[in-house]
Amino acid sequence: MSNDKNVRTEVSKWLAENWDPDTRRSKHGESLTEWLERVVDAGWAVPSWPKEWWGKSFDKDDASAVNSEFRKMRAPGSGQDRTNIPAVTVMNFGSDAVKRKVIRDFLTGRATQCLLYSEPGAGSDLAAIRARAERDGDKYIINGQKVWTSGAMKADYGLLIARTDWDVPKHSGISFFLIEMKQPGIDVRPINQITGDSHFNEVFLDNAIVPAENLVGEEGQGWKILQAALAVERLIMGQGAGERRQGSSKSNVVSLIDIARDTGKLQDPVARQEIAQAMAYRQLNALNMARAKSEMASGVSSPIMSLGKLAMSRILHEDARVMTKLLGAASMLDGESNARSADVNYRTANAYMTSIGGGTDQIQRNIIGERVLGLPRETEVDRNMPFRESMAIKG
Amino acid sequence: MTNIDPEERALIRDGFKRLLSDQCGEDDVRRTMESDKGFDPRLWQAMGEMGIIGLLVDPDFGGIGAGPVEIEMIMEEAGSALLGGPLLSSAVIAASLILASDDDDTKARLLPQIASGEKIATAALTGEKGSWLPADVSVQAEKAGESWELSGTASFVTFANVADILLVAATTLDGLKCFEIETGAAGVVIEPLETWDPSLRLSRISFSGAKAAILKDVGPDAFDQALDVARVALAGEQAGAARRIFDITTEYIMSRVQFGRPVGGFQAIKHMAADLLIEVESATSAARAAARALADDAPDKKVLINLAAFACADAFSEVAATSIQMHGGIAFTWEHVAHLYLRRARANAQLFGSSDHYREQYVTALEKAA
Repeated sequence: MSNDKNVRTEVSKWLAENWDPDTRRSKHGESLTEWLERVVDAGWAVPSWPKEWWGKSFDKDDASAVNSEFRKMRAPGSGQDRTNIPAVTVMNFGSDAVKRKVIRDFLTGRATQCLLYSEPGAGSDLAAIRARAERDGDKYIINGQKVWTSGAMKADYGLLIARTDWDVPKHSGISFFLIEMKQPGIDVRPINQITGDSHFNEVFLDNAIVPAENLVGEEGQGWKILQAALAVERLIMGQGAGERRQGSSKSNVVSLIDIARDTGKLQDPVARQEIAQAMAYRQLNALNMARAKSEMASGVSSPIMSLGKLAMSRILHEDARVMTKLLGAASMLDGESNARSADVNYRTANAYMTSIGGGTDQIQRNIIGERVLGLPRETEVDRNMPFRESMAIKG
Repeated sequence: MTNIDPEERALIRDGFKRLLSDQCGEDDVRRTMESDKGFDPRLWQAMGEMGIIGLLVDPDFGGIGAGPVEIEMIMEEAGSALLGGPLLSSAVIAASLILASDDDDTKARLLPQIASGEKIATAALTGEKGSWLPADVSVQAEKAGESWELSGTASFVTFANVADILLVAATTLDGLKCFEIETGAAGVVIEPLETWDPSLRLSRISFSGAKAAILKDVGPDAFDQALDVARVALAGEQAGAARRIFDITTEYIMSRVQFGRPVGGFQAIKHMAADLLIEVESATSAARAAARALADDAPDKKVLINLAAFACADAFSEVAATSIQMHGGIAFTWEHVAHLYLRRARANAQLFGSSDHYREQYVTALEKAA
């Protein structure tokens, strides 16, 4: 905090020299990747990291001051020490060799990643994964099937959890790997979603290969590493990243009221009640997040952050439900000639992305109940038995 | 309004919290609600000495000179402890109405006594519908020489049974005005109403040619401004009360064992708790944001006050009602505290108008902002 002002001055000076906020481009005529390289080299991408690892060894307040200066100027690339899940995970748990090999490319976007976590038999019960990793000299051989992987077609690397030990309880036998996606043993097939999009894929791993140095953390530590990575993801989803358009709460306010006006229901007292409630859920979540941030800034640990994702899924479903009511019969229509209907239809289906993806609402409630409120854990009949004996594989 | 720094604010809060834990435990709450008058004079006096009752009153008139942020904070503690009595009536609404007046003589006469707690004031702003809307005011004031005469009926008046001074909204040829009259004055009849929440006292008051003094420069705008402070204060009370009954409930579901394990381990209960936590945190955020916006006279203050009004009312109602269900049989008994929170929640949710009313106001405010 002591340096806060100096940091802000330094960052805003650097931005003024290098970034044009009006055109939202680098002043050096660079591509986005080149800009990100410049940001990384200046230490602004991950200012809280040590100097020898692309950072500036800043404390949390100074690092967040950097981020806020970047946001003010609408310049990309900062704050990756909080939001770049693959980079953060490898940084925290990876070997020096693998860190040197991939992190810079992760930060500049030269290398892209995908998440190889869920499997057809391991959704909410993610620890029940059956993909296997077998050590063979200086490498691991991977076999299995992953699902709900976004960006797998283009990704250079995958963050992979696979089982290395079948004779210990399920959470203990998992290891975390960084796998190169462009190799013969990997087959990626798109999944068709209920929205009509195909953001996700199935990934088939058939004798795929991972060099031993790409084991992140130690064998058997995979579950712990995964939890850290998922916590970051949930935090981001709670802030509304699951929405198709990253509109502010204000733009959404306009759209609910606009739809009501256009459909002649703005004066309908029942519709107004529903509009108010839907908009209130959104504003309340924003107020919660703002309070959580200010509490954390003053050093009070806040449980509110963990509520965001569950709150957001109610917001998105409620928005879609109220919009559908306002549209009435027009909600049966779709396609380019019915743009508003198509948008509302899309929202209706896409809301499940937030209420299922990244942990279902029901799993979120377990997490809130257990980790925030300290209620007893769910009983899990296969928690303490060797995974080999679990019904998850014995059927 | 004086500037109160965060340290001073924390001192006020801690002092009040300590006072409530000494003198406003569950036994005290029950004793007070079963008492004739529904308030505890000893606690009231201590609150006066501590500066709680005079929180909003200017230091010139014997108060602290704090604002919405501090009153919201204090009301969170009051709600948490289920404090009964005329704090909202006298220290918030009545004090705000008098502060809105331009009449320094009246202020100098009334405010020090109100701030110290020596005199209790309450506002009679509602008619038989209890709507808190100017159109439903059914007291008329007519000029009679230098003074005024009030006739008609006010209802749902809070803690008039213990009040010394009434501030009455009455219609005149010039619109809505505010009048000051003593509760014991000739032509004033106070008839206590039976209430479902025994810690809340309401009365119907009839005026028949009662002589009253006009409060200078207090008209519809001043009523609305005073009510805004009251809405923020009530939102704080609801947020604080919701959090307390939620905490009581989570503690219980961790210790109550059925089928060989604490019931809080069952998803049916655990998921209820998770959902309620969102309500509790949202209510706190809403109440505090509204208080801050009102203190800063922010452009979106109406949006935030209306939001807090229904969000906090609904959150407290939901949390209190669900808490009984989560406790099971034990909370169906009179001796258990949960129903006292439900009673308070249900009364608070109507006190200054319904959630539906405030949702409507919220949309209207948003339309204007859009």
